[in-house]
Amino acid sequence: MAERRKYKKRYCKYCEAKVDFMDYKDVGALRFSLSERYKIMPRRLTGNCKRHQDMISTVIKRARAAALVPYTVTRKTVVTAPFENLR
Amino acid sequence: MRHYENLVIVKPTLTAEEIQASIKAIEEIITSNGGEIAATDAMGMRKLAYPLNKNERGYFHVIYYSVAPSAINEIERRFRINEDLLRFVTIKYDTNREVTAWNQLVQKAHKKASAPAGEAKVEEVIIPAGIDEDEDAE
Ligand SMILES: [Zn+2]
Repeated sequence: MAERRKYKKRYCKYCEAKVDFMDYKDVGALRFSLSERYKIMPRRLTGNCKRHQDMISTVIKRARAAALVPYTVTRKTVVTAPFENLR
Repeated sequence: MRHYENLVIVKPTLTAEEIQASIKAIEEIITSNGGEIAATDAMGMRKLAYPLNKNERGYFHVIYYSVAPSAINEIERRFRINEDLLRFVTIKYDTNREVTAWNQLVQKAHKKASAPAGEAKVEEVIIPAGIDEDEDAE
């Protein structure tokens, strides 16, 4: 619920910034579309358009493969690896 | 020739010289297979998002290069054999939009390599907030 409130106005942030390409190494930029448990946020909550949501999901999956973003966050890993790498 | 990017994660247990030597060897693999390295970007020692082979950290290094698509198989095979590597990620830059992005990333890597001499050993990479994207011709 708290997360729903975070995204109040529904518009695509990436369209506004005219993003054409996303770099998977730029982890700070991915933070917006990730939940607290590092799940990919659905676009009904973030307001991303289809095109940018597709881009962000491939980029997040690449970042996961490169060990820049965790795949899963369990209670155990939350303690050892909070949001250290990305801010 | 197609544009590629390789991110390699080198074992953190090696000494600084050994890491540099194994990165040299990795770049050698690419060049010996006909690749032309456009830029390299040392992201440095970072904490991994999840442990790889029981390692909590790793040395990240990015190589931008162009090579014939048929050579990628051999390059990846050689990477897989290499025991110094915890992980590698190969990204293909194929469409026009991706190629422009690749050129921008190469320029950014050049700028980063030439500008901060004293900051070579930073732990955390400072991430710029905005994503700068211009419609510049290459
Ligand atoms: Zn959009």
